[in-house]
Amino acid sequence: MTAQLTTELAGPPPSPGIFDELSKREIRRAMLSGIAIPGYQVPFGSREMPVARGWGSGGLQATLSLVGEDSRLKVIDQGEDAGVNASNLRRLVAAHAGCTEETDTRSADIIQSRHRIPEQPLRDGQVLVLQVPGAEPLAGIVRDMDEQRRMHAEADYSKMWVRLYEDIVHNGLITEAAGYPVLVEGRYIMTPSPIPRWDVPKMNDSEAITVLSAGREKRIFAVPPHTRVVPLTFDDRPFEVERTPGAACRLCGSQDTYIVQEPGPDGTFSAWVCSDTDFCRRRRTGDAPAAPAAGGTAQGGTA
Amino acid sequence: MGYSGVRGGQEAIAAAERLVQESRFGGRSAWLELDQITERLGLGVDRVMGEAGLWAPELAARAVRQAHGDLLEAAQLLRAHRSTLPRFGYSLPVGPAELRAVRRVSPAHRNPPGGQVLGRTTDYTPRILDLTPEERARPRRAPGPPGAPAAAPARRPRGDRPDADAGLRAAGLLPDRRTGDDPEPYDITRAPARPGTPRSARLSALARAETGSLTHLWYSCSRAPRPGGHEIPLELRRGRLPLRVAHPHTGRPVTVAGVRVTEARTVRPTARPRPDGTRFDAGYGLCYGENEPKALAMAGLDLLVHRDPHTDRLEQKVLIALDGPEASGFLEHLKLPHYVDFRSTVERVRAVRVGAGAGR
Repeated sequence: MTAQLTTELAGPPPSPGIFDELSKREIRRAMLSGIAIPGYQVPFGSREMPVARGWGSGGLQATLSLVGEDSRLKVIDQGEDAGVNASNLRRLVAAHAGCTEETDTRSADIIQSRHRIPEQPLRDGQVLVLQVPGAEPLAGIVRDMDEQRRMHAEADYSKMWVRLYEDIVHNGLITEAAGYPVLVEGRYIMTPSPIPRWDVPKMNDSEAITVLSAGREKRIFAVPPHTRVVPLTFDDRPFEVERTPGAACRLCGSQDTYIVQEPGPDGTFSAWVCSDTDFCRRRRTGDAPAAPAAGGTAQGGTA
Repeated sequence: MGYSGVRGGQEAIAAAERLVQESRFGGRSAWLELDQITERLGLGVDRVMGEAGLWAPELAARAVRQAHGDLLEAAQLLRAHRSTLPRFGYSLPVGPAELRAVRRVSPAHRNPPGGQVLGRTTDYTPRILDLTPEERARPRRAPGPPGAPAAAPARRPRGDRPDADAGLRAAGLLPDRRTGDDPEPYDITRAPARPGTPRSARLSALARAETGSLTHLWYSCSRAPRPGGHEIPLELRRGRLPLRVAHPHTGRPVTVAGVRVTEARTVRPTARPRPDGTRFDAGYGLCYGENEPKALAMAGLDLLVHRDPHTDRLEQKVLIALDGPEASGFLEHLKLPHYVDFRSTVERVRAVRVGAGAGR
């Protein structure tokens, strides 16, 4: 009787074992609310997952609620498909939903990612699910959750602007590194999850849907396609992405992708390598666009 | 699809899992049976059920065994299992008067109506490590006839919950925090608990809180000077509550299980009388299983939040910061790779240095 009841309400379960179909339906409703109000943090009844809180339990709930047997799923951590965390999440979802595992960004329907947006520009029909450790961009400014909610409700972001201004006064520049605060469609300030600043402009006017899911903090928010996503900065302070003059990936030679340091022949961190391993591999075989997404060309928003 | 590149991580995971299996199933000792865990390590099992928010002794014992005795990890396992179960209904409310107590102490009274029942407790047992040699300790276990408890409870405490506080309440000193209406409890597993949510959300969050975190928060609050006198529990009880559901066809209540709980009620005097004339604040704690520190800390914190939710953001801490799987999961997530954001951070730190003339 139980099985019948859930099947009636939410469709047949692909396989038992992670969470029930009614819960998935609830997550999908939260995602739809998020898409309807870009950048607004939708509270949801986050379930416990077979991974610990902080290990992608939010992203996993979103992905599991979206995948079907015919989906192609890509999972990356730090841009890499092969990392232990990405491998673990991918096998978990694939075993549960029976979807196809994918590494080529172009062919994936759903991309779950931690800390990166792929270099390959996303296309219409794709969903990017970002894992979010801290959902609240105002958390470092006011500690009181009631006050944070009031500030969002009234779009009272003056304290955020003062924080950025003080940063410039103290340090000469805005020191926000990863997870740079953005203004979504001129309304809500949002954290883009701890992606590098390099990836922030890719969120603006994207073809794909971006779903950001924080399992521990029990909030889902989203950026629908073709939405304005503008990093916060001042008129006379252009938004700066990570650039190291002269550095290039030692494998594919690119200077227009996000690169991270690696030990060189001398054993010190003297070499660089692409963090997006799929894009790097395709670059080497000539199977990737010469100019990836527009890292660092976007201008910042202004007060 | 060029999948060879993603094998590295999967092979490493498989190898790590093999090593874990070796320590779970290897070694020379006998297989750890579930009843050994539920009977001999019952307090651990109770703690796991409380923190997981699921009454299931045998499943909790499995979790403890699978987690190599790590109770936080066991609670995480049990909660993840809980997520796989669809929810079809709710049990019927049950009042504390129905609690059949096997232990009841009332620190506020010398001889309360209904009496003091010490019950099974190590409170007054000297904390001396038992060094009896194993060969002499083992035969001490005298197996009784199967199915019969070794010693039947001497007596049921007189009267199911005589109201020890009737006098205080009648004198108008003790507030009655029960509300006249009967709102649905706030279900924190279906909607996040945030400041401003009803008291039922706070009590659920406290009941699921990690015992150590709860003890710590109560302790740090108690050490900070607060106006008014200090806290004295009116009553601490342990016992069994019936779990009833409405029969799907007849609609009549049916008892389907019994749940062991620990309950605490505590009071603190107020410096000035409340608008209703009462002179005390009251707090309530109820948690799964045998966990007296948890029930006591819960009652103390319920009282303090009721009195003043905003000082030290106490209400927010109680709702957000006490969950075991959330805290430990977030702590341990630091072990995940962070090199993408580290590069971003290093770039900013260098940029500040360059901007300051490299001398900073």
